[in-house]
Amino acid sequence: MSGDRSDGGTDVVPDGGTVTEGTAGGSGGSALAGLRDRDDFVVVAMAAALVVFPFLLIDVLGAIGEVIGISIGGYSGLPSLVLIYGIIVIGFNLLLGYTGLLSFGHAAFFGSAAYSAALFSQVVPSPILMVIVGTIVATLLAWPIGFVSIRRSGVYFAVLTLTFGQALYFYALGPGAWLTNGDNGFSGIEAHGLFVGAIPLDAQLIPVFDSYTVMYAFAAVVMLIAVWVANRIINSPYGLIFEALGENEERVEFVGLNVFRYKLMAFVISAVFAGVGGAMFVIHEQYIHPTTGLYWIQSGDFVIMTVLGGTGSLVGPVFGALVFEYVANVISGVTLPVVGSIGSLWRFVLGAVFVFIVWVFPRGIYGAFSDLGSRLLGGGSEESAAADGGEHE
Amino acid sequence: MPLQLDIASILLNGLQQGAIYALLGIGLTIILGTMEFLNLAHGALYLVGAYTGLIVFQETALTNGLLYSSGITTIGFEGGFLAALIVVPIVGFGVGLLMERFVAEPFYDRPETDQLLVTFGLALIVEETIKNVIGGNTFQSIAPQTIFGVNVSQPVNLPVVGLFPSWRLFIIVIAFVVIAATWLAIERTDFGLVVQAGTHDSEMVRILGIPINRSYSLVFALGAALAAFAGLIGASIQTLSPQIGTDQALLPAFLTIVVGGAGSVRGAIAGGLVLGLIISAMTQTYSQWAQIVLYLFVALMLVFRPEGLFGSGEVGE
Repeated sequence: MSGDRSDGGTDVVPDGGTVTEGTAGGSGGSALAGLRDRDDFVVVAMAAALVVFPFLLIDVLGAIGEVIGISIGGYSGLPSLVLIYGIIVIGFNLLLGYTGLLSFGHAAFFGSAAYSAALFSQVVPSPILMVIVGTIVATLLAWPIGFVSIRRSGVYFAVLTLTFGQALYFYALGPGAWLTNGDNGFSGIEAHGLFVGAIPLDAQLIPVFDSYTVMYAFAAVVMLIAVWVANRIINSPYGLIFEALGENEERVEFVGLNVFRYKLMAFVISAVFAGVGGAMFVIHEQYIHPTTGLYWIQSGDFVIMTVLGGTGSLVGPVFGALVFEYVANVISGVTLPVVGSIGSLWRFVLGAVFVFIVWVFPRGIYGAFSDLGSRLLGGGSEESAAADGGEHE
Repeated sequence: MPLQLDIASILLNGLQQGAIYALLGIGLTIILGTMEFLNLAHGALYLVGAYTGLIVFQETALTNGLLYSSGITTIGFEGGFLAALIVVPIVGFGVGLLMERFVAEPFYDRPETDQLLVTFGLALIVEETIKNVIGGNTFQSIAPQTIFGVNVSQPVNLPVVGLFPSWRLFIIVIAFVVIAATWLAIERTDFGLVVQAGTHDSEMVRILGIPINRSYSLVFALGAALAAFAGLIGASIQTLSPQIGTDQALLPAFLTIVVGGAGSVRGAIAGGLVLGLIISAMTQTYSQWAQIVLYLFVALMLVFRPEGLFGSGEVGE
């Protein structure tokens, strides 16, 4: 599969407003020299964005909603949910956006982590331990599935990951019901106790704003770690090989590198992110069912979020997760003057937007914005400027 | 029930399920083989066929619907399923032409991940349109009481097999007639020659001066018509809801061509029958494990015989 989506080998790293350029083939030396600064910068910018995010999503949008008479503000659980999916798609993008492998089976890692975290919570209801246990299970599962799937490329890779995911789904639904509770799913999963202490996860951090919960702080910290790790990987020589694989696998092979090993590592790393997200999802929703956890549409949702947001940039996919969850949870409840209730139309709208994005902006919403930004700022041949590693402000 | 009778009914049910898989697989495989285009909206075409069938069946039934209210059915002719048999492939063909022109063609030169993504989005749109226009609820299957004047509502007593639903027998016959016709069209006609040549080397066909773009439209439309026809058959034996497009059509179609070998019509037929028999045998013995065994079988096929039963191993990589 020759995905030539990351044109020119440049990725742009977003950081809540300003734009800095990531490293790529062209600027290898200076990139390595400035790595530490950039690391700090990305994490600090992300932290700043995370501090204002619930306020913007709930309070500001809520206030605007009151003025225009349509309730478009988020509810208090939404920011955490966006972050959880954001963590997953940052990892998913390492596979799809950088390595160029399209997996339709990541629900397997999400769901297995969710289920193992849910089961573990009945022994030790500690959120942090639940995340660790869930992630370990997802990682252990990703190894054999990746080992088999990576051998094939293109559509066969997509179908193989899908078949393993579906086999797991049907197992959880039928024969594995003794473990997974089958079609009834688990509900009322509670996480408290060790590490986060006896403080309930939905307790408010700041008295005035009910959007800042302990759960949100927990998700934000994990998100920061995820961004830091992903940024570290992308800007390392290892990550450059992932990107090279996405551009031209043969060339990487000719250089003498073990393509199989790098692809397997990309697959496992992306599964680790999905595992973290799956365990966090159970802690947040206190509920898991084969359809939400393991069904292939869940994998499809990861694909949609990643592509909507934009492949080939570090946190571009997070925008996709935001748009997806916002449309699914807020817009779906909106009643418009002419159209009436959005209701179940939301998936239709999402599908249409998705097709439009794939068609017109292969690099997603974030890619489209950064193109627009560089066009406005640079004026002229920003294409070649981008190919040289972006322009410095 | 003695063992041999079980085996006979497993075979018959497997044939019937396998025929649906083969119909889906042929459509998917000729599109993939000829145009190297990966169509994740194949299940949506199945849905189009199933729901068109449902509407035509209802509107042309003897006792109510559009024809009844306009007084045409007083001639005593049961339109129902027969009308659907004619209308559904035509609608599928038309939808296929439109899809090729407006969705597939702009993506022929794009990376195959983009093809997967755009058709995945299209599948979502079709599924959601059906949910919002016709409704997301479940419909009963649309098996008719009589067809060609023959009563098909009662089971028939077959030698060896024993009692078997006569409607399913009818389905096996008609599905294999269609499969055989498609097979002949691809093996014995000029159009089929172009399709086959295109599967091997579409560039060479173009260089030889054959208008392959027109063939592309026809191949796509033929594949779509077959998928729609499979949907009609599916709708006559299973309950209908917008979700079945992926579960009962798209995924089985992909599994079928993986087992048979991508790009091979023969492979799609063989693969469909193998999978149909597996599902049928598992359903009648350990039904909980049926789907799991199916998926794991395909995974094993991919690992140990990646080119499939009849594939060249090059298409789709």
